[in-house]
Amino acid sequence: MKTGAVALDLLREAAARRWFLALGLALTALLLLLVTSLRLEVVDGALAATRLFGKPIFHDIRPADVALRPVFLVASQMVFWCGLCFGVLACADFAPALLSPGRIEHLLSLPVQRWELLLGTFVGVLTLAAGGAAYASGGLILVLGAKTGVWTGWPLISALLSALSFGGVYAGMLAVAVWVRSAALSAAAGASLIGLGLLATYRRTLLDVMGEGLGRALFAGVTALVPPLGKLADAAGALASSAPLAPGGVLRLILGTLAFAGGLLALAAWRFERRDF
Amino acid sequence: MPAALAVSSLHKRFRSRFGRTESVALDGVDLEVPRGEAFGLIGPNGAGKTTFIKCLLGIAHPDSGDIALLGGRPGDPRARARVGYLPERLALPGAWTARAFLASVGRLKGIVLERPAIDALLDRLGLTEAAGRRIRGFSKGMRQRLGLAAALLGSPELLVLDEPTDGVDPLGRVEIRQLLAAELSRGATLFINSHLLSETERICTRIGILSRGRLVRSGPLEVLTAVQQRWRARFAPGTPESPGLLLGLGFEPVEGGAWELAAADPTALNQALDRARTAGAQLVELERASRDLEDVLSEALAAGSA
Repeated sequence: MKTGAVALDLLREAAARRWFLALGLALTALLLLLVTSLRLEVVDGALAATRLFGKPIFHDIRPADVALRPVFLVASQMVFWCGLCFGVLACADFAPALLSPGRIEHLLSLPVQRWELLLGTFVGVLTLAAGGAAYASGGLILVLGAKTGVWTGWPLISALLSALSFGGVYAGMLAVAVWVRSAALSAAAGASLIGLGLLATYRRTLLDVMGEGLGRALFAGVTALVPPLGKLADAAGALASSAPLAPGGVLRLILGTLAFAGGLLALAAWRFERRDF
Repeated sequence: MPAALAVSSLHKRFRSRFGRTESVALDGVDLEVPRGEAFGLIGPNGAGKTTFIKCLLGIAHPDSGDIALLGGRPGDPRARARVGYLPERLALPGAWTARAFLASVGRLKGIVLERPAIDALLDRLGLTEAAGRRIRGFSKGMRQRLGLAAALLGSPELLVLDEPTDGVDPLGRVEIRQLLAAELSRGATLFINSHLLSETERICTRIGILSRGRLVRSGPLEVLTAVQQRWRARFAPGTPESPGLLLGLGFEPVEGGAWELAAADPTALNQALDRARTAGAQLVELERASRDLEDVLSEALAAGSA
């Protein structure tokens, strides 16, 4: 199976792109800024004082692990939503580049199945998303852990959930690119899926206020399929901040997202197998 | 052992996005290329040459017809693993080095390539000094050589090359011809699509002419370029004493001091030569009169459009 080789090539390609170099540099700079400017004083497991750029920001004394929860919550939300938006913009060109004239002919002449090319691209982008989210979350864990002595792995699990959510969006972008080789349309599909994912989050509320008719049925149908990104973001935030979470609900969200991505990938593979280049 | 390529009744049409217009790219092509041959596919732009190659390799799906690629189906990766392909306009990853590109192609071909093997291949293509350089700085000729190196990875049994010398300087073309000759002597089959007729003539032993999606001529080069029932003879200088004697015997002077003669069969040919010798002519060279590939192509296209 050549999926891994295709994914590896995509990662190599990403490493040469300015988008990803800029992301890596920005995340590293942000983490270094935290290392140098954030002062946390922990006494007997309690956060006694917090200073950012030398100025005190919190005055109440709380257990360090409890005090860090909102920090991880905000960080996970930022990783989730900023990651989604960045991913849509930065990854929109991967599939159109793969399908570009002169490249796709060469790839298809090699002993690689068409679906392996598609799956390899998806796996590569997913690895990229997971790597970026894990780098941001892992960096934050390291910085805060070193300063407070509170070590937790949950933000990393939260980062993986964010990457999985992006996987659902990227499957749609990939399917569009297979139909129409256009980075702009692929990005537009990603942005639309984020919008639909937000609407799907408030599906029940919105359906309650909508009148009966074709529009409502269409809305109900579409939002039943699209992963509710708001709920996924909340789940990621709850995981990162060690907040209580219904395991069944998270599992349902994960399985739903996987099924959505799988369905779109199958559709893309069906089209890709039949296309002439 | 099956032929390197066997194609029968290949049809391919392209439809516009909304199916309003349709164009015929391949219209019932039958072709067989024996193993170990160097086959050249020539024809005008839009004749269907590249579409034909794409159908061979499973890049495009034919509407109907059968294709056997080294005895397998084009869609079978096991068959494609034994093929090396150089597309007409290969898009290379500009940020990668030549070594990294070949390593990537090797991985996709399922070949474990150590650095010395990659370097040896790059050396063979005259790219030793560029091995560690980013591809974006390569000239067109260097890109073409790198594409050829990728096609040669794994010593494929069949090399399908779409304009292999395009953008390569004259000296480089000689090197590529030598390299392809070495591949032929290794036992590989060459399938070359080129608009450079002189290059095709120098490399290929068999030719096919494609026009408007139809194979209008196909066969060994010497047969296609031969002029039926005409022979070219060269006599020792000064023999016979009077060139008018040869004119009287049916010989016609052609460029380069040679003479051409129409002879329906070997007996008629030998009788004419005997008469020339009797008149004092000393034969030093005899060959079948031939045309160049350009004449053959023009004639085939004219016949095809008639």
